[in-house]
Amino acid sequence: MVTFGSMSFLGDPLFNILGPIAGDTESPESLKIIEAAKAEYHLDKSVPEQWGRWAWDFVRGDFGVQFSTTGQPPVSDLIKERLPRTLELMFIAQLFALGLAIPWAVTSAARANSRIDKGLTMTSFAAISLPSFATAVLLYYVFSVKLDWLPDTYNAIDPFWGFSHDHRLIQLILPALTLGIGAAAQYARLLRTDMITTLREDFILMAKSKGVPRKRVLYIHALRSSLFSLITLLAINVGFMIGGSIVVESFFRIPGIGLAIIEAVLRDDFPVVLAIVMLVSCGFMVLNYLADILYSVLDPRIRNTEQGQQKKVTIL
Amino acid sequence: MSVNKDEILRNEVNESSEVAEAGAEAAKKTLGFGFWLCAVWLFVISMFALLAPVLPLKDPGENFVQYEEQENPLTKKLEEQPTIPPYSPSSEHWFGTDQDARDIFSRTIYGARISLAVGGLTTLFGLLIGGSLGMLAGFLKGWIDKLVSGLFLLSLSFPGLVLTILIITILDRSLLTISLTFGILSIAPIGRLARAQTLTFSEREFVTAATTLGAKRSRILLRELFPNVLIPMITLAMVVVAISIVGEGTLAFLGLSVQGSSTWGKLILLGADISTLQTSPWVSFIPMSFLFLTVAAFNFMSDRLQDVFDTRSIYVTHD
Repeated sequence: MVTFGSMSFLGDPLFNILGPIAGDTESPESLKIIEAAKAEYHLDKSVPEQWGRWAWDFVRGDFGVQFSTTGQPPVSDLIKERLPRTLELMFIAQLFALGLAIPWAVTSAARANSRIDKGLTMTSFAAISLPSFATAVLLYYVFSVKLDWLPDTYNAIDPFWGFSHDHRLIQLILPALTLGIGAAAQYARLLRTDMITTLREDFILMAKSKGVPRKRVLYIHALRSSLFSLITLLAINVGFMIGGSIVVESFFRIPGIGLAIIEAVLRDDFPVVLAIVMLVSCGFMVLNYLADILYSVLDPRIRNTEQGQQKKVTIL
Repeated sequence: MSVNKDEILRNEVNESSEVAEAGAEAAKKTLGFGFWLCAVWLFVISMFALLAPVLPLKDPGENFVQYEEQENPLTKKLEEQPTIPPYSPSSEHWFGTDQDARDIFSRTIYGARISLAVGGLTTLFGLLIGGSLGMLAGFLKGWIDKLVSGLFLLSLSFPGLVLTILIITILDRSLLTISLTFGILSIAPIGRLARAQTLTFSEREFVTAATTLGAKRSRILLRELFPNVLIPMITLAMVVVAISIVGEGTLAFLGLSVQGSSTWGKLILLGADISTLQTSPWVSFIPMSFLFLTVAAFNFMSDRLQDVFDTRSIYVTHD
C-alpha cells in the first residue's frame, strides 16, 4: 500500500512511456498525446484510485502494463514467461541442498564432537559466511574457467532434459549449486543439532540393541524423527532463496524473475518491480503459513494436542 | 539480506535443545583463541578503513601503468612501452592491480570504508530503535506489546533483499538510504529478541525485589533489565553487521549500491568476467577474501559469545 503511494516520488513515468514528447507541453499536438497516454495508463486519476485499480487488477491476475514505449508485453505475460525458469532453478537448488545437507549432518551427528564433526561444522560455518555472489564467482572460476567442466551460459531456448552443454539441466548446475551450498550449510547445522538430540532417545538404543545395522539406524530411524524442523526451515527457505536467485540469475544471466526485477529497476519500470515484489512477498507469506501447517501434519506429537487439531482444521 | 532468516534459524536450532552440547562444552567456557584472532582482524581492518586517507596508501583512483623496454616493430629500436594491466602481485603492489592498473590493496581498503559504514550504521539504527521498542513492549505489555509485536511480524513477512530493491528504486541509492533500509529491516529481529529477553527477566526475583523496594519503572528498565538484555543483543548485533555487509555487497554486485563507489561487492564483480578470471583471478579474489574474513569474523565472534554467555537457551523460552 505504502509502496504504491510513494510512486509519485519516482518522477514522471510519462518520460519512460513517451520519451522526449512528455517534456513538450507547449505544442497542442504533443499535449494531446500526453493526455491520451495519461488516460490509457490511468495516470490522470488520484493516487488512491490508482492504487485501488491496481490492487483489483492484481487480484484478478492482471499486473498492468510496463512503463515502456509500447507497454508490451503486459507485466503478467512477462512474469508468466520468466517465473518457471526461476522455479526450475530453485527446485534443483533445493535438491542439491538436501542432497548435501543430509549426509553432511548425519556424518557429523553420528560422531558428535569428534574431529570429523568439528571439521564439518567449520566447513558449514565458512559456507554460511560466504555470500552467494562470492560463491557464484568462486564456483564459476573453479568449474567453468579453470576446469571447463560446466557451461557458464544459460540459453533459454535450449531443451531442458539432456546431459550436454546445450541442455538447460546442465546449464543450471552451477547456478543451482551456488544457491544450494549456502542453504545446505544452514540445513546441515539445524539437522545436526536435531540428530544429536534424537540419537540420545531410547528408541535408538532399542534399535541398536536389536541389532539393526548402524547405517539403517542413522538414516532411517534417527533421520525420520529429526526432519521436522528441517522441513519447516525448507519451506521458509524457498522464500529466501528468491533473494539469492536474484544474484545468481544476474551473474549467470538466467532470464528469470530475479533478472527481470534488476532490469526493471535499472530502467525505472515501476509496475514490473511492484508486481514482482508483491508476488514474491505473497508467495513468501504463503510458504511461511504452509511451514506451520506442515509441521503439525508431519509430527503426530503436535497433531494430538488441541492446538494441532485446530491447525488440521485450517488445512481443510 | 536476510536478517530475519538467521533469527528463525537460530530459534529452530535452539528449539531442539542444546542439551547435547551442554555436557561436552560446559568444561571450556572461555572465548578461545579464535575469538581474539577475529577481534584483532576486525580491529585492524576497521582501523585501516577509518584512517585510510591518512595512511601512506596508494591513491585508489590512480593508474599505475608500468613500462617495459620493448622493440618497436617499426623503428627496430628499444623503446619504453606500457605493458598491459592487470599486473600480478609484486613488492610495489602487494595484491596486484586491476585492469586499469589501479592498486587492489588500497581499493579494497577504501571499499571497506563504505561496506563497514553500512554495517555499522545499520546495526546502530537497529539496536537503538529495535532495542528500545522491544524492551518497552516486553516491559509495558498490554496493547503496546501487541502493536509492536504485530509490526515486527509484518516486517518479517517480507523478504529483505526484494524489499530493499523496491525502496532504493523509489528513493535513491545513497549510503544513508541503504543503511536506513537495512536498519529498518533489522529492527524486527533485534526487537523481538529484546522483547523476549525483557519478558523473561522481568519475571525474575531481582526485578521483583527492585519493585518491592519502590524503584521507579525507568530505573528498573535501565538499571535492572537493560544490562541483561544487552549481551544477547550484542551477539545478535554482530550477526546483523555481517548480514548488512553481505547485503550491501549483494546490492553492489547487482550494480544497485551507493552510486559511483567501489565497495567490496563491486570490486568482486569488476574482476568476475571470464577473461579477467582466466588471466588474473586476484582482481576478484582479494576483495572476496577480505569480505569473507570480515563476515566470518563477525559470525564467529557472535557464535563464541553465545556459547560463553549461554544466551542460546534463553532465546527459546519466549516466541
